[in-house]
Amino acid sequence: MRDPARKPAGNPAGRALLAVALVLLAPVAQVSVVNGLGLPGGGPDLVLIGVVTLGMVLRPMAATVVGFAAGLAADIAPPADHSIGRHALVLCLIGYLCALVPADSSAGQRTAAALGGTLGGALLDAALAGVLGDESWTSVLGGLPGSLAWTVAGGTLVAVALVSLLPRRRRFGGPASRAAARGHYTGGHHA
Amino acid sequence: MRAAGRRAPALLVLVSVLLIAADHWITLTPLRAFGSGVYGSLENVTSSVTRWASDARRLETVERENARLRAEVLTGRRPTAAVAGAAAAYQVVSAHAIGFGGDQTVTLDVGTGSGVARDMTVLNGDGLVGRVVQAGPSTATVLLATAPSSSVGARLETSREVGLVTGVPDRGLLRLSLLNADAAVRVGDRVVTLGSENMRPFVPDVPVGSVVAVEGTSGALTRTALVRPFAHFSTLDLVTVVVGPGRPGDGAPQ
Repeated sequence: MRDPARKPAGNPAGRALLAVALVLLAPVAQVSVVNGLGLPGGGPDLVLIGVVTLGMVLRPMAATVVGFAAGLAADIAPPADHSIGRHALVLCLIGYLCALVPADSSAGQRTAAALGGTLGGALLDAALAGVLGDESWTSVLGGLPGSLAWTVAGGTLVAVALVSLLPRRRRFGGPASRAAARGHYTGGHHA
Repeated sequence: MRAAGRRAPALLVLVSVLLIAADHWITLTPLRAFGSGVYGSLENVTSSVTRWASDARRLETVERENARLRAEVLTGRRPTAAVAGAAAAYQVVSAHAIGFGGDQTVTLDVGTGSGVARDMTVLNGDGLVGRVVQAGPSTATVLLATAPSSSVGARLETSREVGLVTGVPDRGLLRLSLLNADAAVRVGDRVVTLGSENMRPFVPDVPVGSVVAVEGTSGALTRTALVRPFAHFSTLDLVTVVVGPGRPGDGAPQ
């Protein structure tokens, strides 16, 4: 709350609305629409892409909570039959890590972060599915290429969207707010 | 701020790990029921809207099918006699598939309120679909027969040889392992369910699929064959859940 220059994207009400929409609607859209299309490779993971997107514009604490809530929603929304808490664990970590990327980072950095977030999330979830015995390792490895391909595509879209949307807003702040953000960032580190 | 920003993830990671552990030792039924209530209802609404949008086309399809079935009844030809027979002998509930999971599961829009419970057979007009693995208040989760973790007792319809049908990951096929290593099995043989004790989870003689390739040699320990299921799992819509044995005219069980 004390460093508004760091994560200033959009107004708070808009971000809260996006977070609620993500938690309530993304799991439903995933099972009712995306998975029903019968896409080769299974289709994109909307909840993961949503958490990465929101993680880039939220503060770490908020991003973690949103990631956890969205993950838990994906864990209990029928017809999920895997361990409850698996997606919650993966997505609160991914949300937190994506929120650590400073808002004033370059387009390249944000692209890399979005790609890393979606890729890391998909890999961690697949690994957990194998470790927890939700799926056999053969089916985990068999499904991995398809889910990774969709995730990379989704991560790229998120990155492109963020890169094209965010710089326009940053012109209001300019270099001064960037310096302020840096100052707060390092200052907070020692606290 | 930074410290708080680090405590929150640690706490939520801990909560997630505890949830995973709890779900492995005790089943978190209230949480699943909550998910069924909230997200199942949303899935139901989404599915109803898409069905309503395509109602005119669906009505025409149904009318055509109805006309064809009437004609078949009149001419005495019954191509799906086994399915019709199986469904007629039990108490059944019909349901729509309203959600598709990533791990070979589907949501149905019926739950414990309609008498659906764990380990019930799910079939459609083509053949076996799977079994109910979870039942919430208004939705049920079905594990498809093609899931790697699914296994169904089965037999060859003509020779009555007994075996086990399991899912083959990613290919939409099933693998039939016959207990008798010397059993004769040919491409095109029909596979039906063997049936379980007390009809749960599987009722007998539901068509499963037909053999498309024979794998093992006669010297191997078991004889295996690849089976193409009759049901089209990617376009599931209307299915039937067998909720119990019973004569026609009985009230709903429980």
